Amino acid sequence: MKVLYRKLWRGIWTSKGQFFAMALVITIGISLYVAMSTTYSNLGYAQERFYDDNNFADHYFHVVHAPEGVAKQIANIPGIEKVTVRIQQDVAVIKEDGTRASARLTSYPLPLNQQVNSVELEQGRLFEAYPANGGAEALVDPSYLEANGLSFGDNVEIIAEGRQVPLTVVGTAIGPEFVYAVKDLSAMVPDPKTFGIFMIPLNQAQEVFNLPGQVNQILVVFSPGADTDSIVAQIENLLSSYGNLASYPRKDQLSHSLLDSELTSGRIMARFFPIIFLTIAAGIQIVLLRRMIRMQRSQIGIMKGLGFSNSAVVFHYSSYALAVSMIGALAGSSLGLLFSQSLNEIYAMYFNLPKVEGYHFQVVAYSFILAAAVGLAAGLSASMPVVSINPAESMRAQPPGKTSRNMLERLPFFWQRLSPLWKMSFRSVARNRMRTAVTVAGVVAAVSLLLISFFMNDAIDYMMKQYYDKEMLYHYLVRFDQPVRTSELLSISRMEGVNRTEAFIEIPVKIHYNGRTVEDAVNGQAEGNQLKMPSDNEGNPMAIPEEGIVLGEITARKLGAQPGDLVTVETAYKMGEPLTTELPVVSINRQLFGSICYTSLTQANRLLHEADLVSGCMLLVDPGQAAAIEDDLSDITGINSIASRQKEIDNITSLMESSILFVGIMIFFSLILGLAIIYNSIVMSYNERKKELASLLTLGFTHTEVSGLMLKDTLIQAVPGLLIGLPTGRWLAVFYISSVSTDMFTFPVVISPFSYVLSLLVGLSFVLTGYWLATRGLSTLDMIEMSKYVD
Amino acid sequence: MADHVLVHLEDVTKTYVMGEVSVEALKATTIDIFAGEVLIILGPSGSGKSTLLNLIGGMDRVSSGELTFRQQALHLAGNNELTQYRRDHIGFVFQFYNLISDLTAWENVELAASLVDNPLSTQEVLMQVGLDERLDHFPSQLSGGEQQRISIARAIVKRPLILLCDEPTGALDYQTGKSILELLLEVNRLHGSTVVIVTHNAAIGAIGDRVVRMSSGRVAEIQVNASRATPEGIEW
Repeated sequence: MKVLYRKLWRGIWTSKGQFFAMALVITIGISLYVAMSTTYSNLGYAQERFYDDNNFADHYFHVVHAPEGVAKQIANIPGIEKVTVRIQQDVAVIKEDGTRASARLTSYPLPLNQQVNSVELEQGRLFEAYPANGGAEALVDPSYLEANGLSFGDNVEIIAEGRQVPLTVVGTAIGPEFVYAVKDLSAMVPDPKTFGIFMIPLNQAQEVFNLPGQVNQILVVFSPGADTDSIVAQIENLLSSYGNLASYPRKDQLSHSLLDSELTSGRIMARFFPIIFLTIAAGIQIVLLRRMIRMQRSQIGIMKGLGFSNSAVVFHYSSYALAVSMIGALAGSSLGLLFSQSLNEIYAMYFNLPKVEGYHFQVVAYSFILAAAVGLAAGLSASMPVVSINPAESMRAQPPGKTSRNMLERLPFFWQRLSPLWKMSFRSVARNRMRTAVTVAGVVAAVSLLLISFFMNDAIDYMMKQYYDKEMLYHYLVRFDQPVRTSELLSISRMEGVNRTEAFIEIPVKIHYNGRTVEDAVNGQAEGNQLKMPSDNEGNPMAIPEEGIVLGEITARKLGAQPGDLVTVETAYKMGEPLTTELPVVSINRQLFGSICYTSLTQANRLLHEADLVSGCMLLVDPGQAAAIEDDLSDITGINSIASRQKEIDNITSLMESSILFVGIMIFFSLILGLAIIYNSIVMSYNERKKELASLLTLGFTHTEVSGLMLKDTLIQAVPGLLIGLPTGRWLAVFYISSVSTDMFTFPVVISPFSYVLSLLVGLSFVLTGYWLATRGLSTLDMIEMSKYVD
Repeated sequence: MADHVLVHLEDVTKTYVMGEVSVEALKATTIDIFAGEVLIILGPSGSGKSTLLNLIGGMDRVSSGELTFRQQALHLAGNNELTQYRRDHIGFVFQFYNLISDLTAWENVELAASLVDNPLSTQEVLMQVGLDERLDHFPSQLSGGEQQRISIARAIVKRPLILLCDEPTGALDYQTGKSILELLLEVNRLHGSTVVIVTHNAAIGAIGDRVVRMSSGRVAEIQVNASRATPEGIEW
């Protein structure tokens, strides 16, 4: 048997280029599998552990305010395992340099004892209910601390109830509801410079907000098997007298929903990408081995004649594929573990989770099993014909390969116009159906992966352009702590450098239709506003109706409402009783992030039975005075937040750099896949046709003409692959997006014409490079040697 | 006679270097090949006869000496010149036919015809080799003799001045072999092409105008036949 191993190694050495190319494709497939599986199982494990350890809430209830004692009443409801009450409120933060940020101030009862949505201290120490030197202590999320260069002992100034309150930072902590710390859905990515999570003891929060003995949120964890719908209804009923503002389950919790969707898309990719690479690798292996077996038919006969069993010979040839797979698995899992570290680092930038870095023996073991299965399946299926080779028969010359007419020959008008060289190429490609199919499939896969990679950039580009260039046209967006009279905007619009001020009001609402209820927000825009231009489904600016309401696509879908339907809008403001109004749905519009309903400022005021209230304004300013205006705005205590469009764009752009790296890696991998498939296919074709190519040279064809023949072979397979790859890529992008879209957001499948062209050009470049690598030997092809060669 | 010399070899040697070993396949060979003659090159394996044929056909380069085709110094020619020489003046017929498996009989001949400006009619050439009924067949659908006929048709369609045949009957049975030889003589007669046949079969010598006997890389003897025998009249 040692001799067979030696033969195997020599076979590998003889076809080292092809062996290397196949091993490379397996390496990529396995490295993607290992990297993504490791990362997502780490991330999934971290999420699960973090949620469990900190009793992540199953349901959230927001009220205007309720006595702390309500917790006891809720705890008595059968099916409730845990209940925690707290105060959570977004507040403005005045930073040391005078600029504004926002914080989600969240209270925790002391001692921290297994309550719902607990926190984990990362650094520093826990806050105290009554610090020895007075004041209030806070924990902040580590990203905010780092982004703002804070140290323990520093004060952060918040504005609450119209006054500035200093909080002393004593540590950093993370909590399960703040894993993805964005203020709301309109923020595409976390911006820890301008938004942070501040955690303080409940008693301090009650003092800060002047709510002694009161809370504004109730969080519950259900017992296993509890009838959650009925419990939620009971609690909502119990809380109704305290001003029910919102009630939503875990799946609608912002951070959880975004983390979950990232995990879902990651898990899809962790299967999807490796499958593409491994399938193509298996295809190439089958084609290569089948050819090898055909060429070594007489050797197989001799081996069998000598007494080697069928299984020994089948195993011998399968071992070639197995060797490719094992080398691919070894290199791929090592690379994959390295990649997983980088991926972990990228995720650490976005998600506040306890660090879980680890290598999973299981993932590596699976990767070897997966690679071995691919190798064995390819090897066995390709080498089964060995069994039927009869030793005596195999010594005789093999019957010549049959050429038959192909489909194109049924088009005489076309066929008769082809030169003999084109006919040769078409027939050769049609004769080697399996090889052609694998080659076309490989090129399709490579080009569609290229297109998907470019699409990821396009999608981000589109969203940035659509959102910031077409819809959000202001320089600053200012939100007040509470609604104010329009006249109060004068102090802002008169500031030097402010060129335009446009008012709006945002009202949290519940929209009821046909027995269904959706919590949403109504955005009332003043007539003539130009700085916020919601767009219709075609991306064109959409007029905001004077009366009636424009529903977001997701809200409309949840309600089952259509334009013309009457919906009931119930205000969920903290002040005053909830008020209900019936409004006709004027139109439905698609939004990139979350959901908001538009109406006019007048109509929005009518919802509150008011006439002249605004909750914020948008500003267009002189770019040269932007910083001064921001400073001036920061001094106004009634302002809750100041959002700078430019700063948001800069933050997103800097975070997107990591995704550009990912796109770059995907492009590189697609190139390798395309190159490997074309190289292998053309090398096989070249080796098979050497004798014919030499015949052509003998006849008087030039090297250029003969190499043109090989190029025709290449293009006949590659061009359909390139062309099919584009719609396939688009289809995969649609499939991918539809599988990761959630109620909260969806990505548009927008692929720029440039991306199609670029995919084609990059595709063509790997085709030509593969062709060049595979036919380098043509210039030294020995005509004499080949003329004597017998098939 | 000098006017009719198509190819002249003067002290031509050919040495193959294989690793550390040099093999002199052809030693100081001087020979003329005349227009319109049938030349049989005889010799056992390794005698240098195929090497000689390949050098005449522009498939290989001499190691030393001079090789001229008319006034053209082939020993100094580059790759492009040799390709042009093969394209314009040479037709090859091989022992194993070397047809293009993906082209039909007709297309194999068309392929060669496409290389020159004024080829013979493919239809006529195929009729001449007796395959006008099977021109839509692929090589794999034809017998050895039929394949060799296509190979001859492919060679002559370009109107070559020299038809070089390397063991053209080597893979064929006795009767088919004879019919191929007859076809080659007919090509010589009809088109006036010089036909050079390399073979180890001494009996074939009788059908040529001259016979060159090769031995150990040298021309051992050049015999001029008083008259050419017909293939039908020879036995082996």
